[in-house]
Amino acid sequence: MATEDVRYRESSQFRLWSFSHSQLAAMRENTNAKAVASISERLSSLGATVPPSSIPMDISAPTSTANTPDPEGGGGTPRLPEFLSPADEATMVTFYTAELMRAGAHAEFSDEIIATAATLFRRFYVTNSIMTYPPQEMLVVALFFGCKAEGAFPRITDFLKTFGRERPEEILAGEFLLFRGIRFSIDVKHPFRALRGAVMELRSLGDIEETRIEAAERRAKDILRFSPLITDAYFHYTPSQIMMAALSLADRSLAERLIQATFHHVNVPEISGTNSGADTPNPTTTNTKETNKSEDNKAFIIGSYVRDKVLGTIESCRDMLSKELPERKEHWANRAVYKAQVVPLKKKLNKCHDPDRWNLVELQKVRREQALSSTKKLDGSEDESAALKDDGAVFGSEAKRRKVSGNKKLEDPFGGPL
Amino acid sequence: MSRKAQFGAGARAAPTSTMSAINTDDMCPVCKTIRYLNKDMEFLINPECYHSMCTNCVNRLFNDGPNQCPYAECHKTLRRKGFRSAFFGDLTVEREVDIRRRVAAVFNQAEDDFETLKDFNNYLQMVEDLTFELVSGPPDKRREAEAHLQQWEAEHKADIERNRKAGREADEQSRRRLAAEREAARQRRMDAIKEAEEEKLDRVRSREAEIDNLAGGGSSGRGVQLKRRGNRAAAAAAAPAPALEPAPAVGSGSNSTADTGGVDVGRLSIRGLKEKRKPGAGPEAAGPYDPFGGQDFVPSRYKLHEGLRHPYVDKYSLDRAHIAGGYSFEEYTTRAMFEAFAGLGVFVEDEKEVGIGLSAGQVATISAGIAAVGDKMELD
Repeated sequence: MATEDVRYRESSQFRLWSFSHSQLAAMRENTNAKAVASISERLSSLGATVPPSSIPMDISAPTSTANTPDPEGGGGTPRLPEFLSPADEATMVTFYTAELMRAGAHAEFSDEIIATAATLFRRFYVTNSIMTYPPQEMLVVALFFGCKAEGAFPRITDFLKTFGRERPEEILAGEFLLFRGIRFSIDVKHPFRALRGAVMELRSLGDIEETRIEAAERRAKDILRFSPLITDAYFHYTPSQIMMAALSLADRSLAERLIQATFHHVNVPEISGTNSGADTPNPTTTNTKETNKSEDNKAFIIGSYVRDKVLGTIESCRDMLSKELPERKEHWANRAVYKAQVVPLKKKLNKCHDPDRWNLVELQKVRREQALSSTKKLDGSEDESAALKDDGAVFGSEAKRRKVSGNKKLEDPFGGPL
Repeated sequence: MSRKAQFGAGARAAPTSTMSAINTDDMCPVCKTIRYLNKDMEFLINPECYHSMCTNCVNRLFNDGPNQCPYAECHKTLRRKGFRSAFFGDLTVEREVDIRRRVAAVFNQAEDDFETLKDFNNYLQMVEDLTFELVSGPPDKRREAEAHLQQWEAEHKADIERNRKAGREADEQSRRRLAAEREAARQRRMDAIKEAEEEKLDRVRSREAEIDNLAGGGSSGRGVQLKRRGNRAAAAAAAPAPALEPAPAVGSGSNSTADTGGVDVGRLSIRGLKEKRKPGAGPEAAGPYDPFGGQDFVPSRYKLHEGLRHPYVDKYSLDRAHIAGGYSFEEYTTRAMFEAFAGLGVFVEDEKEVGIGLSAGQVATISAGIAAVGDKMELD
């Protein structure tokens, strides 16, 4: 096994945040189902207990009351809104990732920061539904967090100014939420530096034109800045594979040349048996049989079998990236597209979002108060507003459940109720 | 009237009391100098009459040869040479001590010189009587005793001299013995300190040796540990066959551990402490700690060589801000090359499905655990 791969497998990106297509789809469906279940439960309990006019959450989410078809009209059982499907959620996440990248470019952050923020944002919404936590808020939080993850430490006040926010709490409230959502793995491995390495290797081959390499690198970098971030490439492929795919999109033969040069090893029996020297530009192997074991090992690392597999993987990654080439950067900013695809979903989202979790500042406040009251063993809800009382009831029962059956919580794939 | 009488009595009483107070040790009875005027006034006595007077008086009166004691009614002739400062504040005691010293110098027989204890006691009684008469007898008795003493001294001069010599020898002997004892005690103390130091050194040395052993190889380290644990454990390890017997007897609960581990280990695991020794004894854990967890940093897909260059990186090799900071361009190359080829052979699609690395279920439980912890943390 190649030492580089062994080292890559140690990374949190591989251990925690790499999934096969089916796994990722299953997780998203699961997240969606759980969010729908918990939100419908909460909405119905809200409708049953508190008259909607006194819910401050409705005030914070302005269109909620205007478009809801009268949850109080049903009396005991209000009609539930239409929820987003997993596909709808994916569209929304893609849209907001594009928004994030636009915001990052507006704030003139470096490529790494934007890429990290986008990746963290997408990771967060794998295990959290977009109906649970507000994406417009989390986007800014992800950017702020991404800055810190990449070693740039902007002032929160500057940050607020850039994004037109007023209070630092609006960003800070979601910070830990995001941190928890990404399972505390801050490091994101990007293909940018890998591209430099590949270019170094290509230049060292010596027989390729300088301008060609430069053009390919420019194009590949453009692709890397956009395409893998807006797709699921980071979940399914390793940075070097993504880089190779981008390079192959930029200049196919260059990428193939690089792959061929890397996986140049030819099996000894193959040489002695069949004539397959055609596809090996650098047959560096010797015919000595005594080094059989190391030969086998080499074949596994840089042999033709692995080469074909790598080529296949890169090809599939290339397909994925080619769907979102940099030319589509303006796609989501396009007014027509926005109206046709995003606005209906936004309308839906306004109705079906989680009433308790949508306002991050309120959520953090409530959680803090709940923590305080639980430590002080005080009820203290007498002088609080009705909404807080209700939240306290919801969170209180949740805390109780957590206390009573800790192992039941472990059975849930990604934590407690959303 | 009464008031006047009282006053008169008080007036009369006061000077006497002050006089007596001054008399005791603050005023020379001869020249009436008080200590207030002469701060370092010193009183001397002469054993002839034990009358005290100040140094000035002694110098004044006796510098020109013997003179009569200046005290009234004392007609002793005193010499300058005889004056000394009194050891005791009470001069009667001073005088008695002097007399006793003088008597003891004359009557200096030891117990060995007598036939029986009774004779010795009689002798002591006689000496004591004589001493008493000398010290506090009436004047005629005192004179008589004085005469006795002088007579005895004259008659037994040779004896006295011999006894004194013997006594001095005995004194010398005892002094030497004492000195020897003190020397011995000192030697013992030195030895003890030396021993303690040696022991300390020994302990450090043995510990170093133990650590060396542990670092060097499992088996020797085991030996050291066994030695430290005491003879009983060593005996148990040396003879595993008899040690096997008590293992089932101790408790059925330990049977499973006895089955999984070796015979020896199973027996030792009952005590809880010995279980830790097992990985130490194993050959695979004997090596030094590897901070990289056995990872190999030699690249297997690419080679690092001089030809790896990039215009964007070369641009910075001329930038003073980068060079001055000690920026290593080789390091950047190494990293870029590593990232270019790391994970090229990691096929997420396959590996996540068949489960190289963590399977999805494991990830889920881990993340749920983290989420649970995270909730708690957030509450804090």
